[in-house]
Amino acid sequence: MDSKLWLALLVTAVGTLMMRALPLLWMRRHLVRKQAANPLDAMPPWLTVLGPLMIAAMFGVSLVPASSTPAAWLATAMGVLVTYVVWKRTQSLGWPVFAGVAVYGAVIVLGTATASG
Amino acid sequence: MTLQAAPRGLRSWQLGAREAIPLLGGYIPVAISFGLIAVQAGFTGWEAVLISTLVYAGASQFLFVAMVAAGAPLWFVVVMTLLINARHVVYGPNIAPWLSSSRWWPWLMHGLTDQIFALSHVRLPQLPAPDRMGWFVGASLVAWFSWIGGTALGAVAGKELTQRWPLLAEVMPFALPALFLVLLAPKFASRLWAITLGATVVVALLFAFYGMKNAAIPIAAVAGALVYYGLSILSRDRVRRGGETKDG
Repeated sequence: MDSKLWLALLVTAVGTLMMRALPLLWMRRHLVRKQAANPLDAMPPWLTVLGPLMIAAMFGVSLVPASSTPAAWLATAMGVLVTYVVWKRTQSLGWPVFAGVAVYGAVIVLGTATASG
Repeated sequence: MTLQAAPRGLRSWQLGAREAIPLLGGYIPVAISFGLIAVQAGFTGWEAVLISTLVYAGASQFLFVAMVAAGAPLWFVVVMTLLINARHVVYGPNIAPWLSSSRWWPWLMHGLTDQIFALSHVRLPQLPAPDRMGWFVGASLVAWFSWIGGTALGAVAGKELTQRWPLLAEVMPFALPALFLVLLAPKFASRLWAITLGATVVVALLFAFYGMKNAAIPIAAVAGALVYYGLSILSRDRVRRGGETKDG
């Protein structure tokens, strides 16, 4: 990499860190100014709504399989269903994810085997 | 969600590290692809690893490498790679109420990716205040190192790996939607939130399906906010009208 490219990389890295850190510092100052007993009360309401929505949006984006085949979509639907059912039963973080990935993988393998057989 | 705080004998950073493990399924295959693509674009393996270490932002790294390889002006490369991560500006403020005043927190925000935000947003409020920094350090280090390690692996042996285990690369990323679902699941108990989140997921899915993955997240979040506030206004009006009928 030449020196100009190094500079571009460093500016990108610092810029990315600033985009993550500066809004936090701003919110900290905002919370100190408001001096609320419960910091959640001092947060702008739109921000508390936006948090879960960003996670939901990431969920929607991540649902689209890399290869858009019927088997991949079926695997996605089954994986989501099993993840939710296992979460309902265990209310934990690890087991639902493990079960969802296992079922997703099993459906993909079955789909691949059926297609090649 | 009734997740528990650190089980006895488990330190907060260990708990964070353990809870970040599902992220590896999504991180490692993508990082391997990045390492492979960076090397194919003319970067050395070390340079690819350095990009993953310093920038540490999936989509913008791919864009950075692709634009440099295409010979785009460097100022434009920087602007575009930063713009693509603009959504990150809402993450820090959203977890701020659960963070202490330690001066380390702003530096720790280097690890605040989409997935670490999603995990922290649900998990930090459930942890005792003294455990939060340890938990965040553990979780974000596991994610960061997996990203760096995956990049190195992709740069060195990416082609061979993707040819030998194509199925694994296809299956492992499902850990991400499964994790997001588990994080969101408790919110579905409320009708308002169930409809709002359902609409957000559908909008994001449609945009991503038509190839607009990066625009999908902010657009879907805005669409979800419109649904949320629309439904809130409607239900407030209905309650007011019900009250007026009773009074009348």
